Parts: sequence; C-alpha cells; structure tokens
Amino acid sequence: MMYRSLLSMMIGLALLTTTAANAQLTDADEIVERANNASYYAGDDGRSAARMLIVDGDNQQQRQFVLLRKDVEDGGDQRYLVVFSRPADIRGTVFRVEKKVGQADDRWLYLPALDLVRRISSGDKRTSFVGSNFFYEDISGRDLAEDQHELIETDADYYIIESTPRDPSSVEFAAFQTWIDRETMLPMRTEYRRDNGEVYRRMEVTQVEVIDGYPTGTEVRMSDLDSGGYTITQFAFSEYDIGLPDDIFSERSLRNPPRQWLRRD
Amino acid sequence: MRCYRSMLLSLRAAFFVLPLLAASISLAQEADWGDDDWGDDDWGTEPEGWAWYGFIEGAAAARTRSEPLLEEDSTLAETRVQLEGNRAIGRGEISFKGDLWLDGVTDNVESDLREANFFTPIGDSVDLQIGRQILTWGTGDLVFLNDLFPKDFISFFSGRDDEYLKAPANAAKLSWYGPIAVDVVWMPMAAPDRFLTGERLSYFSPMAGERVAAPPRLDPIDRDDFADDSEFSIRLSKTINGVELAGYGFTGFNKQPTGFDQQAQRATFPRLNVIGASARGSAFGGIVNVETAMHETEPEDQFRFLTGYEHSPIGDLTLGWQYYLESEDDDDRHLLTNRITWQLLQQDLTASLFTFYSASDEGWYLRPGLEYRFSDQLTGSVGGNLFGGDEISGFYSQLENNSNVFLRVRYQF
Repeated sequence: MMYRSLLSMMIGLALLTTTAANAQLTDADEIVERANNASYYAGDDGRSAARMLIVDGDNQQQRQFVLLRKDVEDGGDQRYLVVFSRPADIRGTVFRVEKKVGQADDRWLYLPALDLVRRISSGDKRTSFVGSNFFYEDISGRDLAEDQHELIETDADYYIIESTPRDPSSVEFAAFQTWIDRETMLPMRTEYRRDNGEVYRRMEVTQVEVIDGYPTGTEVRMSDLDSGGYTITQFAFSEYDIGLPDDIFSERSLRNPPRQWLRRD
Repeated sequence: MRCYRSMLLSLRAAFFVLPLLAASISLAQEADWGDDDWGDDDWGTEPEGWAWYGFIEGAAAARTRSEPLLEEDSTLAETRVQLEGNRAIGRGEISFKGDLWLDGVTDNVESDLREANFFTPIGDSVDLQIGRQILTWGTGDLVFLNDLFPKDFISFFSGRDDEYLKAPANAAKLSWYGPIAVDVVWMPMAAPDRFLTGERLSYFSPMAGERVAAPPRLDPIDRDDFADDSEFSIRLSKTINGVELAGYGFTGFNKQPTGFDQQAQRATFPRLNVIGASARGSAFGGIVNVETAMHETEPEDQFRFLTGYEHSPIGDLTLGWQYYLESEDDDDRHLLTNRITWQLLQQDLTASLFTFYSASDEGWYLRPGLEYRFSDQLTGSVGGNLFGGDEISGFYSQLENNSNVFLRVRYQF
C-alpha cells in the first residue's frame, strides 16, 4: 500500500516537473488555446513599442506606435490602447479597443487635429490594420470559436493545426494551417488557403525573444503572396506585468495619452 | 467660358503644386527608415526639448458656376505651411500649431494660430489645458447640437481640409475624472464661428432679401469684452456597459450673428443658453447615437434632435446615416445626412461622399472626395463642395454659386 502511494507520488512529481513543452499534446482545441494564450495573453498586461515596414513594390511606408494591453480575463476580454507616433499624418492618433470574445468589440479613434473622439463600428475584423498587410484580427487575435481545429501532424518541433471556418461566408479564406512551436507554444507560421488549396497569405515569426519569462515574437512578417507585398512588424521595449491601471483605458487617454506608460526607455 | 476658366485654374493649380511635387520627390529619398533593412535604426529617440512637425500644402478650388457678386473664380488658391511643436514639461506639455499661407483669393499673406497651450495633470484625477486650443465634443457627424466651440465654415465650404472646420478658441479646460467625468471650459471672450462675411463666399441676407457678397463685409458687433463676454461650456459624461452617456450645458452667445441692433444698424450675437444630452453605443451591428439640445436664444428658442447609425457592411466600406431636426415654434427643419467612406488599395485610396439633404428647405450639399497617399509624406486630394436647391434663401441653396471643386497636395515633414 505504502509502496503504491509512493510510486504514484513519484509519477505525479515526474509529471509536474515535465514541462508542458515536452509533454506531447494531442487535443487540437487545447493546443490552439495554449497558442492563443502564448501569443496574445502573456502576463496580466503588457507594453510594447512596435513599428511596421509596409512594402508594396517600390512603395514603402512605415508606422510606429506603442501598444498597451491589459487582460480582463486570461483567454477572454482584453483592453488595448494604441498610440501612434509615425508617420507625421497619423502622429497623435490614438486607437482604443475593448475586445470582447464572442461579440463585437468596442472601438474608439481619436483624431488630434479635430480633437475628435470617434466611435467606430467594429465591422469586419479582417480588414487592413492602418494600411499594413496585417488585419485587425492578426493584432488582437482571432476568436478560437470561429474555426474548427484539427491536429494533422506533430513533428519534432511543431504541432501543425488545420483550421476551417465554421461560417465560410464570414472570411476570405477556405482554411488555414498553423505551425505551433512545441516548446514555446507560439504560432511560428500560418498559411491561409483558398478553396483550390492555393496558399495566398502567410504569417511568419522570424524572431523570438524571452521577455520577463514570456517567449515573445519580436519580428513578424505578413506576406500577400498574390501581390508580393508584405509587412514586417518589429516589437521592442516590451515589458509584461507592469501593473497598468484600468483607468488608462478611457477617453482621458485618447485625448491625453498616459505619458508615463508610453516611454520606451 | 467655364471651360476657359477651369483651364486657367488647372494652370494655376499646377503652379502651386508642381514645386511641391519636385520638392517632395527629392525629400522623400531622405526620409527616415528609407531602407528595407532597418539595420541599426534607433526607432527615433524619445524627444527631449521641442519636437517639430508640419506640412506644406498647395490648394486650389474653382467655382463650378460663376458668382457675379464676386470677382474671384476660385474659392481657394493658396500655398500653406503648418508648423507644430510640442515640448514635455514635467507631466505636462506645451503645444504650438500655426499656419502661414499665401492666399491668392485675398491676395495677402495670412496666418492663423491654431494652438498655443499648456496642458498639465493636477494630482491623479484632474487635467488642465489652458491657452489657444481646438475643442470638440458631442456625437454628431458634421452636425452640432451641444458642441458650441467655434467652427470655421468659410474653410469648410471653400475646399480646405476637414481639420479646418474646427476653429481655435482661447480657453481654459478643466477636466475631473471621478465616478463621472466633468469637463468645464471657460472662454473669457465669446468665441463665435468663422461665419460667412461675403468676402470669399456669397450668402443670402434676410435684410437685403437677396444673395449678397462683400463689399460691404458682414461686420457684426463683437462680443470681445474680457470676462464680461465670457462663455462657459460643461459636459458630464460616463460610460456604462459600452454606452457613452453625456449631459451638456452652455452659457454664452450665439455662434452666428443672428441678431440685429436697430440703432447701430449692425448684426449682433444674441445670448444663448443650451442644455442637452447624448448617448452612443453599439447596436444593430453598428454604432447608434442620439443627441438632443434645447437652445434658448433670440429671435427664437430652438429644440434640436439628432439620431444616427454607422456601420460597415463590408470591409473597408463604412456607411453613416443621420436624421437631424431643428424645431422652432412655427417652423421645423429636417435634415438627412449620409456618409460613404470606402478605403481601397490597402487604404492608400479613400473615396468618400458626404450628403446633406433637407426636404424642408429643399436644399442639398454634396461633399465628394478622393484622397490618395502617395507615401508617408505625400498626400493628394480632389473633391468638391456642391450646393443646390430651389429656394434662394435655403440653408444650402443660398450657397449655390459657391459650389467648387478642389485639388490639394500636402507634403508632411
């Protein structure tokens, strides 16, 4: 009796010390949930400076902004504040989102030249984020319940998940495949396909750094394979669990962004 | 005749725009982050001291029909520089924004100080902004019920960028963020609209009973006694479950010279008191807003009501609809507006049309526009301000001869 409980204790300990990374997951829903948490819910809150290089043939544009995020609930609702500093024509523009899983987000946009706080309809989340190749949904995460997920392969490094939309008319893709790093649970590559199987859009994480204990994709490339255009987003000056107060996600911050939380140094 | 005029105008526009294009091409190559490889770009440094920004803009707008009352065939012909500076001071900030332009309509060098103010938080829950500033509140889209801050209708109608609809005010704004938010704005001298004077645009004069233009320019008796002619605006607001609720109050003077002093034979700004309320939130797959205001003024009190709905039926296409009512004792004015905004070419091209239509004064006002971002620095816009209707005195139809098409090119730095 004693021997058996000791054995089960040892097995339990062994299981506990085995990191999630080494254990092989087999449930697709669990994998996508963990991947979602790893890429969008690291820490209770976070701050990051981001810049985008938008390349379309010879035409290059840039965006630079600071992103503040606070989770209302892990894997659930979130608050975002995005403060733009470049280019000149959108400097001072502030974007605020109350992300609500399973229903329409609340979004506000502040236009400094008019001192105007606009409420904007959330509408289609698969439209360009500030003229880049990233969609709104790529920045703040796609609702996991929108797709059916299937684990189609597990290799040495990745879980490969095939996702198909529950409502195909709501999206421009027929399906997408995601390569999720088994160790960090970060989605490292996502390929969006048409009905005929052709891949037309690809997201790749090209750099990962561990920040405050959280593996973070610090360089991400989104390619439009039809046009050849792409956007590279770099994140820097990232920090997690910095104790962002709730009240900075407010109209006050739209008109006067919270300076002490925006500094990059 | 019209053909000749438009040719002349495009030549004139080219004169304004070509040097800009040339300048921008050479400047664009030196822009920050110019390389595919960012390499060791420092992300820009946190600005210490003053940070300066601005733009150069060439703008021209041609009348689509002649206005015999005014010599100029253009409502706009200008080269403008805007310079903007900010400097952090403790937790606060000093801001400056000024415009200087060569004006081909007035044949003068003109200037406008748009911002010169100091902003500072006081403690944790109070913000103070004092000085010359742009102020906006309320839920209407180009329709104003409780926003009694000055508007510049001359700029708006004559073809300038939307940002010029808002005129600056000398004011102190104190905001308290408690269980509800309270904003109080004090304008020590009345801040009227930049109303039509007849100089750039003609208008209907009820006194004359016909369309008029300068000279003589409309020259009302100003309310410019410090403190005695001051105005107060207040807003109380709170967001509950994503619904933004607000109550408003205003005491001051009419923004337009609607009064008349028989003795001086001059227009005046009568007293105006306003109370109102608004709500805005998500509903029916879009944004719904409702706003009301009671305007107590001379010659008649007015009740205003607005309701609007904005939605995005497909990606990058946004539709906005508004119904607006101005009700006086014996007269109701009904207005319908529609805004279509369509972003194309990965949002580099924005096509838009704003329509005002009023059945009660049988008039309409169309604002079509196309804006293209050539780069992060260079933007070009074409569009129009087209007025029409049956009544010579109608709100929009009186402006019929000011209908114009515009071209603007802006280089940001």
